[in-house]
Amino acid sequence: MATIDIRSVSKAYGGHAPVLTDIDLSIRDGEFIVLVGPSGCGKSTLLRMIAGLEAISAGTIAIGGRVVNDLAPKARDIAMVFQSYALYPHMTVAENMTYSLRLKKTPRATVAEKLEAASRKLGLDAFLARKPKALSGGQRQRVAMGRAIVRAPKAFLFDEPLSNLDARLREQMRAEIRKLHAGLGATSIYVTHDQVEAMTLADRIVAMHGGIIQQVGSPLDLYDRPANLFVAGFIGSPGMNFLPGRWDAGARAVRLSDDSALPVERAIDLPDGSAVTVGVRPEHVGLGGDGGLAAAVDLVEPTGHGIILHLRLQDQPFKALTTDRRYLTPQESVRVTMPADRLHLFDGNGDRIA
Amino acid sequence: MTPAPRRPFLQRLGDRAEPWLYSAPALIVITAVMLVPLVVGISYAFRDVQILNPFSGGFVGLDHFRALAGDKAFRVALVNTFWWTVLTVLIQLLFGLILALLLDTPFRGRGIAQALVFLPWAVPTFLTGLNWAWLFNPTIGPLPHWLHALGLLAEPSNILSDPNLALWGPITAAVWWGIPFFAITLLAALQSIPSDLYEAAAIDGANPFQRFWSITLPFLAPVIAITVLLRTVWVANFTDLIIVMTGGGPADRTQTVASYIFTQAFKRLDFGYASAISLVLLFLLLAYALLILLLRQRLIDRDK
Ligand SMILES: Nc1ncnc2c1ncn2[C@@H]1O[C@H](COP(=O)(O)OP(=O)(O)OP(=O)(O)O)[C@@H](O)[C@H]1O
Ligand SMILES: [Mg+2]
Repeated sequence: MATIDIRSVSKAYGGHAPVLTDIDLSIRDGEFIVLVGPSGCGKSTLLRMIAGLEAISAGTIAIGGRVVNDLAPKARDIAMVFQSYALYPHMTVAENMTYSLRLKKTPRATVAEKLEAASRKLGLDAFLARKPKALSGGQRQRVAMGRAIVRAPKAFLFDEPLSNLDARLREQMRAEIRKLHAGLGATSIYVTHDQVEAMTLADRIVAMHGGIIQQVGSPLDLYDRPANLFVAGFIGSPGMNFLPGRWDAGARAVRLSDDSALPVERAIDLPDGSAVTVGVRPEHVGLGGDGGLAAAVDLVEPTGHGIILHLRLQDQPFKALTTDRRYLTPQESVRVTMPADRLHLFDGNGDRIA
Repeated sequence: MTPAPRRPFLQRLGDRAEPWLYSAPALIVITAVMLVPLVVGISYAFRDVQILNPFSGGFVGLDHFRALAGDKAFRVALVNTFWWTVLTVLIQLLFGLILALLLDTPFRGRGIAQALVFLPWAVPTFLTGLNWAWLFNPTIGPLPHWLHALGLLAEPSNILSDPNLALWGPITAAVWWGIPFFAITLLAALQSIPSDLYEAAAIDGANPFQRFWSITLPFLAPVIAITVLLRTVWVANFTDLIIVMTGGGPADRTQTVASYIFTQAFKRLDFGYASAISLVLLFLLLAYALLILLLRQRLIDRDK
């Protein structure tokens, strides 16, 4: 177990534009960090640089206080679970899980002991003699996890380990990973673009976009106080609604395009008339009140647990989430209200205001 | 339901024969092209067929095989065939594997290198033989002088005329000519190995040799088995280089069974005896092929 310190790390593949720029991140001992971001934002690249599979173009990475820039993967004492699992097809489950121990010439008894402990933890006892080919996707996933945990490494790296599983199995494995982490307490970095995984697993989430860290914080931090439009739109499902407007300093309100005013309670220091974006999450939108704004109903999407209303508000797409089944019957229009304490304000650069 | 009335015999016959009639042209051509020559060739082994003897052609039973059992030249050829085949194939495999591994690592100009590797393969074997015969000739070729300078030869002489070394001449030429085949086949297999396996192994702590041993080799094994099988049969039957470079000499020291067949058939013009030897060679190779196929099946089963 160890801390991981990433200091102004950049990565560029020979001649191409940089993939990662100036990444700074301190990971505490035993922390579960989740890297999220859209496809191509550099999550895997960062993970592979920590693992030693990719050269570091600039900056330093330290594991347990020791700079590892020039260390081979085997010298870094980390374990990695690949999206493809990367199980050795010619070895049995037991051989797969104990390969690293056998390479280190660990005494037979110790190997057997660790294999036993890990396979019991993961429910793999019945499959130890099988080849990976004869396993289901979920079982292979467990073997990949088992291969990582028998080593008791300083840190675990996961690159979208659950993305090849079906939804139900993913939910189950998610809980198991959480439990495993609670039991082992090992520093973990987990890459995913599934934000539910990010929210449920992480001690802290690192949201990335275009090779730059957008925000680091606890899941609820990112949900409650997104640092910019990207994080606001990326975290949460269905995604946050955005409406363009202008700040009216006199009325202490945002004027939307039809001149209607959305009062804001917080103290805000902005020049009068500056452009802002208002954000509100679909689950915080109030429906059917007397006041509020009129919105046309485009589509009603029942999810079982709730209903997603696809609306059109001042010519902007707008979503509302409700559990009130009255809205299942199609209506021409509804009135929506946005509670002042649930509004997010972003300035012209897309950064959060207050 | 009443049982359907039996259809007339002719109609049933027609139905049965229909697929055969459709495939008859293809079957007849295949039989004519493949089986007839084979059967005629095998029949020669039991007949006295000498091109220059107009009274030959009669049935002689197992006479040829009896003669073969006492033929010392044939036994020498058998031993030579063993060494010729084993050494040629193994050295081809070794260098082909090394070359494939080199070509599998990225470097500048790899595309050109991969194309160049094919080159020996494109040279006609006849030309290859002549070329190497000249290279081994001390009056025009550099090789004897180099070998002498390296201390491998006592004097810069032609190894093709040295009874103890002559076989190495055709072997060298055959290796040079056959490496591309192994290199290209193995390279294709290497490139199909997922790279994340190597990454997982690197993280697990395997050094390059251990990675080769526990990932590359198991992946290559079935390919190696099948290529070695094909090449062994092919090299055992391969006479061009021997005929061009040594003609089986000196004193039959480079005579393989295949070149002995060639000598018997086209120099002594004894087709009957040559066919008998061919039949023996055919059975030896069939037995060998069966062995390798069983081995390969076991390799594949092991992966299940
Ligand atoms: N070997 C390479 N050479 C050049 N560019 C590369 C190479 N590998 C990755 N990239 C680029 O680096 C960027 C980041 O890739 P990376 O695999 O880290 O994305 P990611 O965030 O993991 O995406 P995903 O969620 O789809 O896995 C991409 O734009 C990709 O095109
Ligand atoms: Mg990725």
